[in-house]
Amino acid sequence: MTESIETLRELAGEYVLGTLPLAARHDIERRLALEPLLRAEVAAWEQRLLPLTALAEPTEPSPELWPKISNSVAGSRATAAADQSANQSADKVANDAAGQSANAAADQSANQSANAVADRSVKQSANTEADQPANKRASDAADRSANKPVGSLTPSAVTGAGGWRRWWDDLRLWRALSGGAVFATLVLAVLLTRQPSSEALQPAYMVVLVAPQERTAGYVVQASLNRKLTLTPLQGVAVPGNKSLQFWTKGTDWKAPVSLGLVRPNQSVKLTLDQLPQVQQDQLFEITLEPEAGSPTGKPTGPILYIGRAVKVAM
Amino acid sequence: MPPTADGFDYDAALHACALGDQQALHRLYQQDGRHLLGVALRIVRRRDLAEDVLHDAFVSIWQKAASFDAGRGAGRGWIFSVVRHQALNALRSRERDVYTDDNDALDALQEAQDGQGDTVAEQFELQANMGRLNDCLGHLDSAKRNSIVCAYVDGCSHSEIAARLNAPLGTVKAWLKRGLAALRECMA
Repeated sequence: MTESIETLRELAGEYVLGTLPLAARHDIERRLALEPLLRAEVAAWEQRLLPLTALAEPTEPSPELWPKISNSVAGSRATAAADQSANQSADKVANDAAGQSANAAADQSANQSANAVADRSVKQSANTEADQPANKRASDAADRSANKPVGSLTPSAVTGAGGWRRWWDDLRLWRALSGGAVFATLVLAVLLTRQPSSEALQPAYMVVLVAPQERTAGYVVQASLNRKLTLTPLQGVAVPGNKSLQFWTKGTDWKAPVSLGLVRPNQSVKLTLDQLPQVQQDQLFEITLEPEAGSPTGKPTGPILYIGRAVKVAM
Repeated sequence: MPPTADGFDYDAALHACALGDQQALHRLYQQDGRHLLGVALRIVRRRDLAEDVLHDAFVSIWQKAASFDAGRGAGRGWIFSVVRHQALNALRSRERDVYTDDNDALDALQEAQDGQGDTVAEQFELQANMGRLNDCLGHLDSAKRNSIVCAYVDGCSHSEIAARLNAPLGTVKAWLKRGLAALRECMA
């Protein structure tokens, strides 16, 4: 993607204004799910132009409209409930992994109700495709998350999918999770089964990096007790041609973030943190958009695309 | 006109929707249904289509309530954007079905315009409660201002703006581009 930021802004402006033809609108809607920058520009335009909606005169809807909406909405709930009851059988391996990670989150999070939701959701997801081998299920989930991330603007993303993908796409789930700590458990459940055991990192800390605006997960960081760290992308990120992604970390008592180097979009990175202290609970990790050669000041200068805090993982 | 100051908690209502509370969706509908239908009607221009848009948009709001981050405190704006984009997609989709080329579209619009007689500028003058946007639009020349308002409020395409303002298509595109850039700078 070699689109300049000016082009991106114009495109976002015309999308919100409404002047783009249908094909271009659908193109933007697809890209919004993948591109944090475009999403931020569109959100800014929505906010700027919103007062213009005051120019439309209010019009009383016909009395039949609400009952129709109510019916349609009730139908969508019934479908979800039916799915849930169809997935009662349990897969022991997946349930163990899910239970373990949910416990790790319970230690960290003060929000008990969110934990309850997360725990339930993890188990539900683990049951969803109980007939598949654990590693296949996990890698499938990762693939699907890359192809069809959360935050898509098409309503069919929720209603048109089944099984694990339906769970992954169900935005109510993401909303119910109060933050990265609880969120991490869900991704952990995936990653625990994704890695062949011979190469397992024995991660001691886990960080889910999410887009600040949308809370969509973009990367997972795993840090082991022997200071090895991996950064794994979960979904596609588009970067303008003259920009780079830079990876940073900051301990809770550090004065400023420290660069962990430039990262390529959509590629995993393995690092050894021999110049830095052991990763701590709540240590901040973030990815910012910087000039092509990296931040000229040694500190983050561009917008934060993904951010998260380290959560200790009980292994 | 927009009920922003009456204390309705949009974020709380959306949060309740995300948790499956259908009453919360009804509260949103009661709060803003009239206004949202007005917004959709201006864009799709037919009452039956506008009600379809509102129906689909509310189903979409219900399904996507979880994707809205309450921390932003912009629930009302999010709801309006869902309805507007639903309406814009319906409008553009219908245009593609109905009109085979731009000339047909222009002819149809010219006729519609002859019958209407209202101008975007007049409607715009009526509103002084739009805060900073009002000031910044005021700094634009009238061609750029009218192009932007026509597009946002009435869902005008490039060729419709050209027809309404009696200007070449390329000029309209330049007006929009420069008008948006100036607005962005003014509101930064």
